[in-house]
Amino acid sequence: MNIFKSPKFSAFIEEKAKPFLVKQKKELAKNTNIVIELVKRGIKLQYRNSAIGVIWTILNPLLNMFVMYIVFGTILKYNDDKTYLLYLLCGNIIFNTMRGATSQSLTSLVYNRGLLTKNKIAYNVFPLACNLSAIVNFLFSFIALIVVMLIVSIQVPVFSRMIWLTIPMLPALFLFNYGMSLILSALYVFFRDVMHFYNVFLTLWMYFTPIFYKLKNLGSLWQEIVMKLVMKLNPMAHFVEYFRDIIYRVKIGTLHEATVDTSLITLYIIGLSFAIVGTLVFSITKRKFIFSI
Amino acid sequence: MEEIVNDSLPVEEIHTEEDQTVIELTNVAMEYFMQAEKVDSLKEFFVRLVKGKIKRQKKKILQDISFSVKKGESVGIIGHNGAGKSTILKIITGIIKPTAGSVMVKGSVAPLLNLGAGFDYEATARENIHLNGAILGYTKKELKEKFSSIVEFAGLEEYIDVPLKNFSSGMVARLGFAIAIDVEPDILLVDEILSVGDENFRVKCSQKIEELQRKGVTCIIVSHSLQQIKKLCQRAVWIEKGEIVAVGDSGEICDRYYEYSNSKK
Repeated sequence: MNIFKSPKFSAFIEEKAKPFLVKQKKELAKNTNIVIELVKRGIKLQYRNSAIGVIWTILNPLLNMFVMYIVFGTILKYNDDKTYLLYLLCGNIIFNTMRGATSQSLTSLVYNRGLLTKNKIAYNVFPLACNLSAIVNFLFSFIALIVVMLIVSIQVPVFSRMIWLTIPMLPALFLFNYGMSLILSALYVFFRDVMHFYNVFLTLWMYFTPIFYKLKNLGSLWQEIVMKLVMKLNPMAHFVEYFRDIIYRVKIGTLHEATVDTSLITLYIIGLSFAIVGTLVFSITKRKFIFSI
Repeated sequence: MEEIVNDSLPVEEIHTEEDQTVIELTNVAMEYFMQAEKVDSLKEFFVRLVKGKIKRQKKKILQDISFSVKKGESVGIIGHNGAGKSTILKIITGIIKPTAGSVMVKGSVAPLLNLGAGFDYEATARENIHLNGAILGYTKKELKEKFSSIVEFAGLEEYIDVPLKNFSSGMVARLGFAIAIDVEPDILLVDEILSVGDENFRVKCSQKIEELQRKGVTCIIVSHSLQQIKKLCQRAVWIEKGEIVAVGDSGEICDRYYEYSNSKK
């Protein structure tokens, strides 16, 4: 009865299980290598032939922030508080990380069709690489954020130890982006107009995410209820507001102003569920990619 | 309990070194539903769905393909355009799974399909070598060792940091061949690549393939050049409209194919 000691069992381990594990390990090493090379290529090519190159990654969110500040802070006089700069930048960085990751992934399978129709290769390395580059870009944008925090700190001290919570937040954001990316890239293989649709959707999504506005003075109670619900259901609102909480709200004591109550656990629930659904959609459809790509 | 263990241990057939079969295709069929007109926009898709006009045609690409290749053997695949030759190579590589039948492949496979298809033309030759090397399964260390020999074989020492968009098509093909051939695989699949590049390079490619053959690498070569097939392969498989017409000695099969092609004209 002792199957673990029987010669047949040890033969099974030697002949089947061990080669299987060795193969899996090899496959993993190979795919890791591919992803690293893809990320390198993505980052290198992004700013090739540009004079200041990678500095754009830092400059881009800053310029975006100033544009929004000029429009909403100065012209529309929505808010001209110094911390409003930080408010805008937090929203911008998080939303643009998602935008960059997903819209790049969307076309990644079709863009790399030459590679995946001629080689045996795990298809998800392409969206994965796009998502990792987006996280690298996020880290560059973080330099911009530190600069603005230093400027704002002259008037209102904003630095708190909570800033370290950015680190556990990143995997959750990554999972959410990755799940979205898997779904979008798979859809794009079959329907090329997903790209146009998604671009419009991104604009809509941006306006329903608290990037430049706060939920106050909405007028009717009815409007307030609807907007609160939208914020609750919008995953990006959770990420944006969580990031703001830890970057400065908790320090200057305005946590009650957040449009949605959120926590790290909520972020992980969102991230994981999107990653799971994305993986399911991707693995069901991937067998048919090769005929439509 | 004993029985379960027994079940998971199918009896392996024991082969002697000489006649070890490394590739075996048994009754392989490949078909897929092809929309009569390819619909790849959502609007069209829904319009047709409502009208009930999504015509789905079952297209048979391969039918009942069975052949086997022994270790160290070289087999050529011939047939007219669209006969399904490349599909067979893709099935052996594992890029696509057949709809029916079984495929057995032993050992590492290096596919040389459509050289340069996987290149990024914005990136330099160096970057492309790194990415394609990773896809072929080289580790960082292996690639470092092989890098100079790849560049040398392709004859592109001066252009290594030039973006591929500035390369000629011959240079691209050379680079593709140089990367893929350095794998030293157990099985080499060659698709139509011997017809690219200049005469000089073609000779170099043939020599390299012959060198690998001497080392005992199993080769499957798809080519429209019957001379090449005769020269490089012992056996040949003739395929027409997804079905095997004949399998046998490469000289004999090539002659029959030549006669058939001429009689059709």
